[in-house]
Amino acid sequence: MAYLPQGQQSQRSGADLRTEDVDDADLARSAARGDPDAFGRLVDRYGIAARRAARAILRDDDDADDAVQEGMLAAWRAIDRYDPARPFRPWLMRIVVNAALDARRRHQVRRAEPIGETLETGGLGPDRLAEAALLRERIVASLATLPERQRIALVLFDAEGWGHAEIAATLGVPEGTVRSYVFHARRAMRRELESLAEGMR
Amino acid sequence: MMEPTPFDPGPDAELGGLLREALTGPEPEAFLRRMRSAIVGQDNQWDVLERWARPRLVAAAVAAGLLLWLGVRQFAERQLDTGVMVASNRASSVLSPQPPSPDEILASLWETR
Repeated sequence: MAYLPQGQQSQRSGADLRTEDVDDADLARSAARGDPDAFGRLVDRYGIAARRAARAILRDDDDADDAVQEGMLAAWRAIDRYDPARPFRPWLMRIVVNAALDARRRHQVRRAEPIGETLETGGLGPDRLAEAALLRERIVASLATLPERQRIALVLFDAEGWGHAEIAATLGVPEGTVRSYVFHARRAMRRELESLAEGMR
Repeated sequence: MMEPTPFDPGPDAELGGLLREALTGPEPEAFLRRMRSAIVGQDNQWDVLERWARPRLVAAAVAAGLLLWLGVRQFAERQLDTGVMVASNRASSVLSPQPPSPDEILASLWETR
């Protein structure tokens, strides 16, 4: 079953499609030797995924961007403590997720901005545009009803294509727990989206 | 639509696409540029601080060494002066036309034991 209104296909950003030859561990080693450009390349690779994860935790977009920046700077300062024998992605994402969770605790009661105002239109007509904005709002709102860890697991698994093991390393929980998080989050999201799709017909 | 199970092997492409679309936010390239600038800016701040701090730390270390040396030297001179003063006091009491004080007599008796 399709959730999306016709003509509106989701796309990965250009940054997600960028391919790189040098592996994360080599870049992290260079960064640890004080090369900010090497760390910049890691930011290019994982910055958008980190932004999505932060937005799944914090509904205020500016807070989410600030949390990503805070997390990235913390990772940059701690890069010499990263063990290149272990995967870099979960190490970085754990720092960013923790920064977002800290920010969420600080801004617990702040009201979310309506996200429809800032999204790109993609050349859609007013009806489609309103539909798309509504869908996005509902997705974000549905996501916000999930427990934090389920949200993060769902975004990393379905939106970023991470494996259970990496998500488990990021969240510091067993793989089985991640499977359970993804299962419950998906079920809840699908119900929400199906009811939205019914309403749009 | 099939009900999801905990054993679903891979990501749900459609749900994943929707999540990406909803969560990516505007101008991802500009966002990445801002992040990179923050990293480089942070690095420059540390560089500036390091450049500023290093000569001052060396100067402070030199000043501390100098003060320590002066302190030690003054202490040593003071010790030497005390020795000379004691010696000159003893000589002056022998040569003095005045009779020695009871303290001086007691001190000389104590020293001869």
